[in-house]
Amino acid sequence: MLEQRVELEKILAQIVNGAKEVIEANAAIICLLNEDGTQLYAAAASGISMGEVKQELMPQLLLDEETLTRKFIVLTNANSDTLIADLPAGYQSCLCAPLIAGEKQIGTLCAYATEPNYFKEKKSKQLMLLADVGAVSIVNARELETLDSLRASRDKFIRIATHELRSPVTIAQSLVRGVIKGYAGKLSEKQQDVFGRINRSLDFLENLVNDLLDLAEGQTLDIAKNKEFVLISASIGRAVLLIQPQAEEKGVKLSYQTNSAELIVWGTAEGMDRVFVNIIENAVKYTPPGGSVAVSVQVAGEEIRVEVSDTGIGIPEKSIPLIFNEFYRAPNAKEGGEIGTGLGLNIVKDLVEGFGGKIKVRSKVGEGTTFVVMFPVAGD
Amino acid sequence: MSKILVIDDSLDMQMALRMPLEAEGYEFFAACTGEEGLEKVKELEPDLIILDVMMETTTAGFQTSLKLRDPNPDSEYAAYRNIPILMLTAIHTTTSLRFGPDETYLPVDDFLEKPIDPDKLLEKVENLISK
Repeated sequence: MLEQRVELEKILAQIVNGAKEVIEANAAIICLLNEDGTQLYAAAASGISMGEVKQELMPQLLLDEETLTRKFIVLTNANSDTLIADLPAGYQSCLCAPLIAGEKQIGTLCAYATEPNYFKEKKSKQLMLLADVGAVSIVNARELETLDSLRASRDKFIRIATHELRSPVTIAQSLVRGVIKGYAGKLSEKQQDVFGRINRSLDFLENLVNDLLDLAEGQTLDIAKNKEFVLISASIGRAVLLIQPQAEEKGVKLSYQTNSAELIVWGTAEGMDRVFVNIIENAVKYTPPGGSVAVSVQVAGEEIRVEVSDTGIGIPEKSIPLIFNEFYRAPNAKEGGEIGTGLGLNIVKDLVEGFGGKIKVRSKVGEGTTFVVMFPVAGD
Repeated sequence: MSKILVIDDSLDMQMALRMPLEAEGYEFFAACTGEEGLEKVKELEPDLIILDVMMETTTAGFQTSLKLRDPNPDSEYAAYRNIPILMLTAIHTTTSLRFGPDETYLPVDDFLEKPIDPDKLLEKVENLISK
């Protein structure tokens, strides 16, 4: 969203600077019409500060009905014309071209000069041409903005839909677990097998819903706005603590080593937790019993390096470039029978990059995998 | 026989809780809204309340627990203040609240994560009732 907004501002600046230069005016201003087309507001200026534009020119332009009726206006002598009487002292000539895209006027492009009778026919034509080209690029940039807000609505839809999905999945899981544990009466071997399969499918569905929720949240969450200082060792500590029982149950040794406890990065605590829970959980998941997962934190120059190394099944070379893609799962990960949606690493990458970091992976099938996450040390 | 009151708006979730609880010999009662739950607390004087967070409104469970634990001595529910409350949540995904035994702003005795694991449920129930 922000990027597109910047894009529109950049285009407006280019047009207004271009106009001032080409027409050899002292100042140029772009005014855009508001949504219902009744008012103009100053959107960009060159050769005059926006502060001056708003205070000095706007009341004048708002009353200027001619610029609202697609007319090209040439004012040559301020002394004889009330229309530019409110201009800042010194401007005596004004040239206004309507910005028209398709059938619709979207605003005006105006140039000002201190000299009376300054704008001649050639300059008027040049300004008209600039206005025509400018209007098209402004409309394009605005359409991109709309597209972006459409994407935001889609993400919002996913978030709501998944919240609604989660509830029935949770209920079904709770019921099936009760049945499997025999609380609804003794099950035959065949029934036990069938309910076991239902349970596995439901667990997968739960994972999928949770991951989709994370993904939608990660994409809609304005990370930049919510950033804070995060103690990275505390975040990793929480993740290790959370996954330790899983590791113990599986017979995988999970260890965590850090030399400095006070490392701070710029991010969100929740997002950072999600990153490490995801990576460490993956490591434990794809490491056979008897193996180990080692987590370490180091500082290298201005960078904090977190490494998560396992002695697991590894990632085939061909799959390495694909593992951060949405829904991708390496073939040996699927064969192992572990539940996974293929969304986890995609979420991790989004978050890490959102926090200004990088993520890399080294792996060898049958030997293990190391994920390296790097963040810049947060400045004072 | 200990009486357990489940306050949850989903009849299916009530069933999921009922199976293990009745199998272990607890007497099971249920209410579908916070308000109905509060009425049943007065009527039944249960030994334990299992409370869902999101019911008729997203915070109905919180409001119910706050009413039950109102420290005001004239509170309508003063007589039931010591009944233990087990709250059902899906903390990880539905709220960003950090729950913990040291959090006092939410007056409940313990939490149980959804989906319900029946063995964990029974362990927590036994623990809370024997207190």
